[in-house]
Amino acid sequence: MFQYFVRRFLWAIFLFVSVTMITYVLFFLVPADPARLIAGKSATAADVARVRHDYKLDRPVYEQYWRFFDQLVIHQSLGRSFANRRSVNEMVGQAAPVTAGLVAGGAILWMLIALPVGILSALRPRSLLDRGAMIFVLVGISAPVVWIGLLLQYFIGFRLAWTPNAGYCDVFNPPAGATCGGPWDWFYHMILPWLTFAILFAASYARMIRANVMDVLGEDYVRTARAKGVPEQQVIRRHVLRNALLPVVTMLGLDIGVALGGAIFTESIFNLPGLGRLAVNSVFNLDLPTIQGVVVFATLAIILFNLIVDVLYAYIDPRIRLA
Amino acid sequence: MRTRKLLGIVLLILGLVLLVATAASASPRAQKGGTLVMEETDDVDYIDPQLSYYGETWKLEQSTACKLMNWPDKAGADGTVVTPEVAAGLPVISKDGKTYTFTIKPGFKFSNGKPVNAKSFVDAINRFANPKMQSTGVAFLDIIKGASDVVNGKASSVSGLKASGNKFIVTLTKAAPDFLARLTMPFFQAIDPTLAGQIDANGINQYASCGPYYFSARTPNRSITLKRNPFYKMGRTANVDAIQVNIGNPQPVEYQNVLQGTSDYAAGGIPATEWKNVSAKFGLNKGQVQVHPLLDIRYLALNHGRPLFKDNPQLAKAVNWTVDRQAFAAQGGYLYGQRATQILPPGMLGFKRQGIYPLAVTPGTLAVAKKLAAGNTRDGNAILWAANAGVAPLQAQLIQYNLSQIGLNVQVKLLPRAQQFTDAGNPKTNNYDLTLEHWGADYADPYDFVNILLDGAQVTQPQHNNYAYYDVAKFNTAMRAASLLVGAARGTAYAALDANMMKQNPPWAPLVFSNDRNFLSARFSCVTINEAAAQGPLLNMACLK
Repeated sequence: MFQYFVRRFLWAIFLFVSVTMITYVLFFLVPADPARLIAGKSATAADVARVRHDYKLDRPVYEQYWRFFDQLVIHQSLGRSFANRRSVNEMVGQAAPVTAGLVAGGAILWMLIALPVGILSALRPRSLLDRGAMIFVLVGISAPVVWIGLLLQYFIGFRLAWTPNAGYCDVFNPPAGATCGGPWDWFYHMILPWLTFAILFAASYARMIRANVMDVLGEDYVRTARAKGVPEQQVIRRHVLRNALLPVVTMLGLDIGVALGGAIFTESIFNLPGLGRLAVNSVFNLDLPTIQGVVVFATLAIILFNLIVDVLYAYIDPRIRLA
Repeated sequence: MRTRKLLGIVLLILGLVLLVATAASASPRAQKGGTLVMEETDDVDYIDPQLSYYGETWKLEQSTACKLMNWPDKAGADGTVVTPEVAAGLPVISKDGKTYTFTIKPGFKFSNGKPVNAKSFVDAINRFANPKMQSTGVAFLDIIKGASDVVNGKASSVSGLKASGNKFIVTLTKAAPDFLARLTMPFFQAIDPTLAGQIDANGINQYASCGPYYFSARTPNRSITLKRNPFYKMGRTANVDAIQVNIGNPQPVEYQNVLQGTSDYAAGGIPATEWKNVSAKFGLNKGQVQVHPLLDIRYLALNHGRPLFKDNPQLAKAVNWTVDRQAFAAQGGYLYGQRATQILPPGMLGFKRQGIYPLAVTPGTLAVAKKLAAGNTRDGNAILWAANAGVAPLQAQLIQYNLSQIGLNVQVKLLPRAQQFTDAGNPKTNNYDLTLEHWGADYADPYDFVNILLDGAQVTQPQHNNYAYYDVAKFNTAMRAASLLVGAARGTAYAALDANMMKQNPPWAPLVFSNDRNFLSARFSCVTINEAAAQGPLLNMACLK
């Protein structure tokens, strides 16, 4: 187990360096001049040169990357935004909990939908419930997230006004000038984003769970259990679900890790100040430090959740041993 | 007797009932107080006065700042005259035009109670020039003596400034008739001693202001709150108690919020397709929908530095005869702007409707265009740059089609907006023959349109705004001469420049003078629009029904 962790840790470092390096290089392949953007439209050549020097943009790319990496590892600093000079640590630190709240709530919601739909569909194949569920799956997977979000926002948030149509409220310590805050406001504002975020995943997970359960229902050990007279509920619970849900655990961990990089569409539609919106704005502003900050966070999240999934898998399935 | 008394009582009751009913049915009247809620799609850059350079921030600062010279809180022509605010009157200007002496009017106070004095302006300019602030607007300091030395780190304070009692004296490096207009920019507003000592390139988010309002809170990317300055008593209106700016909602949400009444002003705009609907529903400039011309232009810069348009005035004229300005404007939605065929926009000093080129394309205008283009298309190929977002790609396709009709084979290249103007302004990377551009006035003076955008001295600079690479000696001389004139003579000279450049050798094909389109809630009242001061309704004048 220790060797496994050491190997995974070393691999994580390699992955991290590769991802950040590629992001850095790609940024410099874009033929635009951040110094000119920072200096403003009325800047003279001397102003631009001064800005370029101040931000160390006149150094070679590899030197700039080394400086970034050094700053990150030694000082745990992601630098300052080119666009507004705010600390990127602070920006990512403020955005990450918003995205985490969206992803966590969304994940709970999608599992609450997918599990019963998938299991019941598998247990009653070709029934009205099953067919209805598969239509839901088809629509959920096919319909763009943006379209679903805008529909929900328009009909539920605006026309019916059952929920707010956009906006975010902090659970704790609403910032100065905030017009809402506290657990209930937060929850109320997150209903539509959670629903939007969850639908696609709920549909694909329902489909996966249905397929897995149907597969396992045909296994010999399930037939044996039934033949021994084990009550059906017990068969389902102890033999079917435990085996059928193993792949779901893997997928869940991976999907949460990726989603923590920023649910861009959902955050943009509902004005959630999370990592997705931060990433979009920083790309449009050619704000390299912020782009890198989001990439670093997303990379770390994916690496961490991959590790958690692997360990959890070994725990759930005694046949698996971490080599 | 009893009957009379009874009748009297009945009449009294009837009268009271009628009075109450009338009061209840009367339309709500605008009143002081309340919180105005406005929406912005994107966050501002800074609210720090020496750093902020976005139009949206300047819109807020028009309510928080007090300046030596300002645009009055009036609509129409009255609002376009630079007027003393903290200055007791117009400055005394030396004979050589280089020294300005302002007398400071007593009574202005910051929101922390401290008085505004001559030093408040010395501090502002010194802070502005301080290289540690890394302000992006320092180019506007070039005419103040000693400012460049501070910007370049050779001096610690600007030598051309002096505060002596209630006098504020500024010495310039050269005569600059647009100096008073420059002072209306928020960079030059009075700042209190606390802010003067806060040198931070990251910007200060809370500071005392001397205008009708002050910034009481700001959470980046979330919200900004302005509150009434309790110490302000100098005549400018401050109707609402507070202005709440909510940041980040996309345009459809802003539109919904204003319709519902949960917001009062969609400052970030509404979907382009909704302008016609709201104009039809609420009427134009009668209340909720306010559309007014901006000091702003969208244009097609013709690169005179490349073979296609170099020494080729006939082709430049042909382009002006062939572009479909009507269709171009239609891409931006209802009331996007006025079709433009000249450089200076309506409302700008020097604007005079020229009528040199047609506003609409007809078979007749196309024939003229073809005749002008015949034999002048060089190799017949052209590269057109445009932004890759919004309506720009559609507009570029339109231009491509228009120019194909005069024999030009146009290749459209779409770029991120930031990259487009960065590369266009660099002589080493301006690999285009035409570029779709957009310019809004930094301050209401023709210098900011003509000299900044068309003076040939710029074209050899590593970065500049002369995207037409226009360098015609006689016009360069005329621009510089015009910049030294004042008053009506200045306007006449710039009007003549505008006409002559467009007639003889057009640097651009002007397309649209943009409109400022505003969608307001039903309770938003006291709407005053002064585009010289700020886009949109003046927030300090706004009141709520």
